[in-house]
Amino acid sequence: MTSSSFTIDLEPVGRRVQVGTKSTLLAAAQAAGVELVAVCGGIGSCGTCRVRLMTGELSPLTLIEEVELGLDEIAAGFRLACQARPVSDVRLDIPPESLTTPQRLQVEGQGVEVGLDPVVVPIDLHISPPSLFDLRSDTTRLKAALAEQGFVIQTIALPVLAGLSEGLRAQDWSARLALRRVDGKAAKNLVAVLPPASPLLGLAVDIGTTKLAAYLVDLVSGETLAKDGAMNPQIAFGEDVISRIAYVNEHAGQHPDGRQLLQDRLVATLNHLAAQLCAGVGNSPQQIVEAVFVGNTAMHHLFAGLPVHQLGASPYVPVIGESFELPATALGLSLARGATVYLPPNIAGYVGADHVAMLLALDVARTQQITIALDIGTNTEITLSIPARRTGRKGNRMLSCSCASGPAFEGAHINAGMRAAPGAIERLQIIAGDVRVHTIGGVAPVGICGSGILDAVAELLVAGVLDRRGVLQKGHSRLRQATNGRLEFLLVPAAASGHGHDLVVSREDVKEIQLAKGAIRAGIEILLGEAGLMPDDVEQFIVAGAFGTYLDLNSALRIGMFPALPIERFRQVGNAAGIGAKQMLVSAAQRRAASQIARQIEYIELTTHPTFAEEFVQALTFGK
Amino acid sequence: MDQLLKDIYAGVIDGQSALVQEKVKDALASGLNPGVILKEGMIAAMREVGRRFEEGEFYVPEMLIAARAMQSGLALLKPHLQESDVKSAGKVVIGTVKGDLHDIGKNLVAMMLEGAGFEIYDLGTDVTPQKFIETARSVDADIIAMSALLTTTMTNMKVTIDALADAGLRSSLKVMVGGAPITDQYAAQIGADGYAVDASRAVSVAKSLLSH
Repeated sequence: MTSSSFTIDLEPVGRRVQVGTKSTLLAAAQAAGVELVAVCGGIGSCGTCRVRLMTGELSPLTLIEEVELGLDEIAAGFRLACQARPVSDVRLDIPPESLTTPQRLQVEGQGVEVGLDPVVVPIDLHISPPSLFDLRSDTTRLKAALAEQGFVIQTIALPVLAGLSEGLRAQDWSARLALRRVDGKAAKNLVAVLPPASPLLGLAVDIGTTKLAAYLVDLVSGETLAKDGAMNPQIAFGEDVISRIAYVNEHAGQHPDGRQLLQDRLVATLNHLAAQLCAGVGNSPQQIVEAVFVGNTAMHHLFAGLPVHQLGASPYVPVIGESFELPATALGLSLARGATVYLPPNIAGYVGADHVAMLLALDVARTQQITIALDIGTNTEITLSIPARRTGRKGNRMLSCSCASGPAFEGAHINAGMRAAPGAIERLQIIAGDVRVHTIGGVAPVGICGSGILDAVAELLVAGVLDRRGVLQKGHSRLRQATNGRLEFLLVPAAASGHGHDLVVSREDVKEIQLAKGAIRAGIEILLGEAGLMPDDVEQFIVAGAFGTYLDLNSALRIGMFPALPIERFRQVGNAAGIGAKQMLVSAAQRRAASQIARQIEYIELTTHPTFAEEFVQALTFGK
Repeated sequence: MDQLLKDIYAGVIDGQSALVQEKVKDALASGLNPGVILKEGMIAAMREVGRRFEEGEFYVPEMLIAARAMQSGLALLKPHLQESDVKSAGKVVIGTVKGDLHDIGKNLVAMMLEGAGFEIYDLGTDVTPQKFIETARSVDADIIAMSALLTTTMTNMKVTIDALADAGLRSSLKVMVGGAPITDQYAAQIGADGYAVDASRAVSVAKSLLSH
């Protein structure tokens, strides 16, 4: 008997889903809302979506699986979820490294202090109720009461209007109104009718390709009331930006439409995050009257429901560069009925609003020091800011570029690589031939995350195990021949690991770090070259973002990822993009400053830059 | 072998551009045949680099560094080379497909093919199907080699192959593809004749495509 659908049981998550016979296990997991790591977007080239068959039967092994999975893994029942299809009901075990959660989520960050310049203000009102002798409409009544306090209403959006009568009556005609400024006008828009004395809340979110960082802010005091992080649920559709664009391209016009699906998943998670933040401080998301979202250009477009196809092909142009606003309801966000979402400007297809927010938070546009500010990710955005005193211009000269640094620092494409989750080696030292590791959570190691692999490469260089080209040099007692005949360095023997397997570093791993650091260094050198500066001219070097915060600067300097500057010129600032988003949430002046930054920046396209290839090859060599 | 040739050979393998340039100048000044310098110094060195790469001793970085050294020497050598010095293994029109600006991998393939005696017509990046077709026609190409680094642009490989068929050129030349997101399976699916996982193997794939 043949069946047209099968039940897929996903453990240890404990979710079940019915899928058709043509569905891959990856698609099944996606349908169940279980987020598997799929670095390549499900085309079978990355081998990250490993799952283990517990019961039932799957389609025969594909060639790709035979290549990606070792014989041991195949014998143990491992398959690639993007390749295997069910031929009966199946029960799968998802190993922790294939699941996108739980992860360490970083929400802290540093930034300069900014004053409040509120976009939304609270007005406390008591309105005389209607009676048979006073038959004015609710809005007329409201406007009259506001006029007494000197306020004029420009518009009341339909969703606000629809809730107005009920709100006023439920609160016995006493209310706290949230009024939003209208550019160039004295009149304001009515955003929400809140219970008296309720706080006016704002939401700032940094939509990272991997992680979301959200802040709940009191718009009156400017104080951050709560912060939280979550994984970007779009990871299940591709780990990096390009994979997600490819997913959207391939699923355009289908049911569900790819772009719609990615937007819906993100919005659902954001709604959940907002509700959680509010619940934590005894409020409701209905009190969030204004929100600011930053992200790279692709995240910005996917969130706003804009097409991304053109971001996936040269010349990689965004739909919109300027900032813009839209009603929260248009995105399906469950905030106050009249809440507005503000999206800051993008600089280029691969330098987005998150970078603008980071520059804003650290006041890079007005710094008096020659500054490099960068955020390391799959794409590393770099800005060089040269103070007016050096250029003779009115303001700072700012040059930006984006480097394809790849996902190695997120643990992808690394043999023992994993994200920054419990059990990941985050610090590593080689002392007198002995390897000492420190893991997240202090548990036995099961893999190595970005800062750990960076340390490993730097330490191997110092120990002379690697030469400047990245070639492993024989002689160290921990160096051995792998089953494929190539050399590998034993970091942690099976007995000391958390999963009973050796953790090793291979030349392949070193190569990934080399390519990543080469791209970053080449980007830095090209920006400096464009400005006619030498590396040593840089007076301040700002490293933002999660990986940038946890990395050991000495390791980064040893391998030559950053120019050899005195260590005191470096600053590791955490999630500055989130701080910039918060500043824009509470200040109209900061929003204008952000737009000014985006206009001021000269964007340099690296891929077509005449000296990029030369700089890149040069930067592949290790050492300062 | 002449000591200078040995130095050039070793310099290319070790990726020492300055040394290779110096020794090429010396070799030319000492009256060595440019064709011999090319063949025994550089091509032989790149073959050795390819061999070490395939055996896992070398990786992309060393290969790039070596290729850069070869190119710096080749630039000095080219004005002195005669037609007769170089026997072409075949004509290859190479480029990164439309929408894609990445060229480091493509350049490496071009250099390895050049090092193996192929005549290279490098169209650069963001190459339209039309440009591939025009060039293939005008130079009477044996092979079209396409690269893509992005999953969003690799679909243009198929577009180009289809355009070649429409232009009536498909049966008169071979198509090979490569790039990070490309797999053997994908190459077969879009109707390419050959796929190479890396720049070194691209040489053997190109040779085998023209041998039958």
